[in-house]
Amino acid sequence: MFEKSDEQLIEKALKGNKRAWFSLIKRYETQIYNYGLRMTGANEDALDLMQEIFISVFRNLGAYRGEGSFRGWMFKIAHYRCIEFYRRKKPNQGLDDIPEIECPDDSPEQSMTSNQQSVQLVEAMQSLPLSQKTVVELKFFGQFTFEEISEQLGISVNTAKSRLYSALAKLKTLLEVEYA
Amino acid sequence: MHDLDKAELLSAWLEGTLSDTQRIEFERLCIEDKEFAQSVEATNNIAMQAHDYQNARVPDWNREATFTASEQPKWWQMQWLPVTSMAMSVLAIAMVISGFQIRTHDGEMTISFNQFADSQKVEQLVAARLTEFKAEQQQVLSTYAQTLQQQQLDASTQLTNYLLASSRQERREDFGEFIKFINDQRNEDQIYYAKQLNKLQQDMYTNPTDAKWVPTPSIGDVNE
Repeated sequence: MFEKSDEQLIEKALKGNKRAWFSLIKRYETQIYNYGLRMTGANEDALDLMQEIFISVFRNLGAYRGEGSFRGWMFKIAHYRCIEFYRRKKPNQGLDDIPEIECPDDSPEQSMTSNQQSVQLVEAMQSLPLSQKTVVELKFFGQFTFEEISEQLGISVNTAKSRLYSALAKLKTLLEVEYA
Repeated sequence: MHDLDKAELLSAWLEGTLSDTQRIEFERLCIEDKEFAQSVEATNNIAMQAHDYQNARVPDWNREATFTASEQPKWWQMQWLPVTSMAMSVLAIAMVISGFQIRTHDGEMTISFNQFADSQKVEQLVAARLTEFKAEQQQVLSTYAQTLQQQQLDASTQLTNYLLASSRQERREDFGEFIKFINDQRNEDQIYYAKQLNKLQQDMYTNPTDAKWVPTPSIGDVNE
């Protein structure tokens, strides 16, 4: 009831109010951390990515004009930080390349939900190229519309839909193998 | 049908924005196109799994590192405080110099800046108050003088009475002592004369022939 809006917290954080900034972090850190977990598949990487995302969000906070939701704007930054993260970790892998299967030690099973099917889905997502994985993440876990996804990723709506369709086809195959 | 159209249909179904035409086409594909039907089913499963996904708890991490700006200064450290303080001081000085006054009378508030407008009134008021004060002080002074005079008179009377009484007593005592001295003196004289007479009597008895005791005839006796 008395919870401050994102805009109010941003305004205070911009004036140097640390408490307001931490309130904003608390509000979104679970989403961002789990986004990182699903995108990187590893707890340590998710933590590093989350820190980079929030640092970047803070540095660019003044550029947020209140056009669209803050969450959407933040996930846009998260996406670019994620691309940077992938480039640094795997410099030879393109956005549309199919990644190598990660070592089981880095599996998100250790720190994520016990829901087996959800774990299998997240594991299957790790096999998708970053461009497709991002669309799946934003569509199914972020609950964004295609319009928002296209705006965040800087692609057309049709491209977003096409990437999702391709990703779903791959996931269907991967999950069928896992269920079998 | 092209994959792009299928993607469009699947996306519209996923977002719940299928038009009537698209719905018919979508249902037809689900029945006739096995691959599309499997994609729809997989999409539905993934959507449900994503919906049921339980977020992992965020471990402790260094949130401080994300706050790269200098912290907001406390209110007493803010720049506006000395500026406001200075402005208030200047305002106070200006109010004193300009003779700023606020008067309230019958619920009406009057603000004035002219300090000389009422100086005459103030002088009259001060003069009246001074006169009143002077009269009052004179009255008090007069009463005080009368009281003091009366007190002095009483003190003088008491002193006079005391002096008279004490001098009378002293005189009485002096006379008493003087009489006592005279009496003592007389007693001593009588004792002395008695001793002298006894001595004379003794001498007369001892040497009755002594010429001293024989009276020498005086011229008057011879003549007789």
